[in-house]
Amino acid sequence: MTPGPLLSVAGVVLLLGLVVGPGRPQLWRILTLCGVAIGMGAAVRVLSGGGDWEWRSGFPLGGEAMHLRLDGVSALFLVLVCTVGGGGCVYGGEYWSDHHYPASAPRGRAWWNALLVSLGWVLLSANGLHFLLGWELFTVSAYFLITLDRQRLQVRAAGWLYLVASHTGTVCLFAFFALLAARTGSWDLGPLRGQAGLSSLFWLALLGFGVKAGLFPLHVWLPSAHANAPSHVSAILSGVALKMGVYGIVRFSGWLPVPAASGWVVIGLGSVSALLGIAFSVAQNDFKRMLAYCSVENVGIIFIGVGGAMLAVSHGDAPWGRLAMAGALLHVWNHGAFKSLLFLGAGSVLHAAGTREMSRLGGLWPRMPWTAGLFVLGSVAASGLPPLNGLVSEWLIYLGLFDAVAGRGPAGWAALPAILALATAGALALVGFVKTGALIFLGAPRTRAVARADECGWGMRVPMLALAAVCLAIGLAPVLFWPAVSRAVDAWHPAWATRESPAPLATLGLFQATLGILVATAAAALWYRAKSRGGRRAPTWDCGFRAPTARMQYTAASFAGITAGWFDWILQPMLRWRRPRGLFPTGAFRRESVPETVLERVISPVAAGVLRVSTAVRRLQHGRLQSYILYLVTGLLGLGVLVLLEGAP
Amino acid sequence: MIVMLDLVLRLALWLLLPPLLPGLINKVKAWVAGRRGPPVLQLYHDLARLWQKDVVLSNLASPGFVIAPAVAWVALVGAAMLLPLGPTGAAFGFRGDVLLLVYLLALARFATAWAALETGSAFGGMGAAREVSYAVLTEAALVAAVLSLSVQSGSITLATLLAPAAGAGAVLLAGGLFAVLLAENCRVPFDDPNTHLELTMIHEVMVLDHSGPPLAVILHGASLKLLLFSVLLTEAVLPLGRLPPFVAAAALAGGVLSVILGVGLVESLLARFAFRRVPLLLTTAFLLCLFSLLVAWNGGAA
Repeated sequence: MTPGPLLSVAGVVLLLGLVVGPGRPQLWRILTLCGVAIGMGAAVRVLSGGGDWEWRSGFPLGGEAMHLRLDGVSALFLVLVCTVGGGGCVYGGEYWSDHHYPASAPRGRAWWNALLVSLGWVLLSANGLHFLLGWELFTVSAYFLITLDRQRLQVRAAGWLYLVASHTGTVCLFAFFALLAARTGSWDLGPLRGQAGLSSLFWLALLGFGVKAGLFPLHVWLPSAHANAPSHVSAILSGVALKMGVYGIVRFSGWLPVPAASGWVVIGLGSVSALLGIAFSVAQNDFKRMLAYCSVENVGIIFIGVGGAMLAVSHGDAPWGRLAMAGALLHVWNHGAFKSLLFLGAGSVLHAAGTREMSRLGGLWPRMPWTAGLFVLGSVAASGLPPLNGLVSEWLIYLGLFDAVAGRGPAGWAALPAILALATAGALALVGFVKTGALIFLGAPRTRAVARADECGWGMRVPMLALAAVCLAIGLAPVLFWPAVSRAVDAWHPAWATRESPAPLATLGLFQATLGILVATAAAALWYRAKSRGGRRAPTWDCGFRAPTARMQYTAASFAGITAGWFDWILQPMLRWRRPRGLFPTGAFRRESVPETVLERVISPVAAGVLRVSTAVRRLQHGRLQSYILYLVTGLLGLGVLVLLEGAP
Repeated sequence: MIVMLDLVLRLALWLLLPPLLPGLINKVKAWVAGRRGPPVLQLYHDLARLWQKDVVLSNLASPGFVIAPAVAWVALVGAAMLLPLGPTGAAFGFRGDVLLLVYLLALARFATAWAALETGSAFGGMGAAREVSYAVLTEAALVAAVLSLSVQSGSITLATLLAPAAGAGAVLLAGGLFAVLLAENCRVPFDDPNTHLELTMIHEVMVLDHSGPPLAVILHGASLKLLLFSVLLTEAVLPLGRLPPFVAAAALAGGVLSVILGVGLVESLLARFAFRRVPLLLTTAFLLCLFSLLVAWNGGAA
């Protein structure tokens, strides 16, 4: 079957799920899974070389004829939507069940499908007006999913911030599409590389899509929204919704001409996001906020690749750009898989222990062995370590950038700092993930609630296992995924389409697979040896101290202290503490938190200033008729004076 | 057949030779101090003894406590196998293998730090926090060094990357990489391998709770890492690829020995730095590598 019928069946099934979902969870799950499987089929067909799909109809929607299109780029993102959409739907069935949340679970099911349909719509539409419609619907459905648990003040605040930030971005996109339509004379979208006059519009697109993608100074909404949303929603927000911003940039940098400076700006923004995103991530104490900031880092990595590719195109179609773009697009998949896995794992910890504070957890591994193992796997992938998938995409980006440096052109000057930023961000990610994983799962339980925690059920385990399998598959056999990614790259820049794969992915895959097998063998052998040598258990030795308590373990703040100290200039940590005093001290404490600096130190003061001015202006409107008449008379007099002065000479 | 033999010989070399290095360093230190010192082969005895010993595990430790040392060891062996050995070249070189080497070292770090945190001991926390934090700077320095070599040679395959000399920036690069070697292998002035129980240690604190065969694996891995960095430093600075095979092999061995001598001398003559100054020194190492990169960049343009 061609993608057309598949996509329409998928859409209808998902909409049916939207209608029946609130009342019937089982049926909803089946319908949603069928829908995403069929949608995935269409996308895989395009990516496996079945040819692009394009459909025009005379049927007008909002006064514009329908124009849908599925090419390599949109199919790549559609695969991600379907994977995480299906996984989250299974996970949400147990995590956000009717039993626990009778009021919000039915709503959540309907909005889930609305989100999936609108995401698909954004990816398919090749008409500016329809794109905006889908974009708005997607923003709103995500808002309602974030605020499912709207009794809590924090959740409402996070949702509100998300809505405001998203609409600031949408305003830019409105301007972008409207100006585009005004200059080309039609809302229709498609390759328009020839029209050089359109290039300045790219800045509007970068601003609008950058807000959604969470690029560094525009990421202010992201941490609180991702931390406060239900975890399966965090997974799709972080794994998929951010990628819509990436999609926008990739799509329109491919279709429209871009300004000469754009590659430099995108790679620069990417480097800054990667470094500062991970610096904020390392300093967090709330594990979901930590994962959210890590998404800022990964979006930065993706933008480093995209910016590199744009630079390559503007510097004489250099072939290394193909590697950078392939790395960026593969990282879209990889980050989608491992970050969703990590958020689902975080959700099951939250479900079991009821807190997001790392320093209140600890010792969860014997209680939740599955979650612990899968979280470690996700952490290794997210730190970009072999033999998992995070390494493959970062390695491709590195190859592209190293080639740019070897070319010694002006693009090399952008690639040098980007490589160093990428390496430093990778090492910092390792700090963050060792800290998070170890504080949650290792050592002794720090609170009583944790000691009573239980492993999640199979409904939550299966989606995590599936996402972990994706991480493993891309890591061990990257060569299988190369054709799909290279088709997407060719759709972005057709001039590269004839080139062969310049990266020895098969060798890398072989090395990674061998490494994986050796790691498993060596681990089993050492485990067996240790078992045969007694394996006696004893309390942890703590310098001869006889009664260690769980609170004497290392905390999140002390672990990250050294690294976070280097970034104090931007993190601006808030420290409140009272020293122990007297012979029998009571009430000593030390609290450290890292604010969202850009929001609280830049945007909030500006917003407060605007509010003060508007409050002052509002005093003019007080409801006293006499004064209003006075305003009118004064205004009229003023006008009269103006007219007199105009007429005087 | 030849390929298999090559692989086996390399593996044997990388597995059997490393425990010699700490013994040599100790000899150098003893010689400077006018002592007789422990036998050169001491670590071999220690490893054999530890492999036979019983294991005591913490009540809190998960299977990861035993698995992680194995993961770290395999990662280090993998990284070593990627490295070309002077005239014989690399066992399997491919484009971009140098990045894989950097990330394998990171995997070993992840596993070691993870194992250190398993027991819930504050010592493990301290050591692991220091290890992963300082590694941010050493990794930046290492990547800057790789960039400098890559600009010099126009390649990102280890075998061709390391074959020519480091060019005009060789001294800068050698200085930077030597500091990285000292920091990554927990030597003075960053760390002191002689003491176990101080609060100020990095690596020795992380392995405090290990015993028996897992400890043997950790110690072997640590010596392997020392050899790996010595070989990397030697090959980065000397033009081994341009020399006749036997001279190159001799130069490689001589280079590794002089690195070891250097480590021993530094250890005898310097005291460990205060922790505040460690990041400063590592930043200096990074800057040295960065300057050698700029020298390489300009040298090529001229």
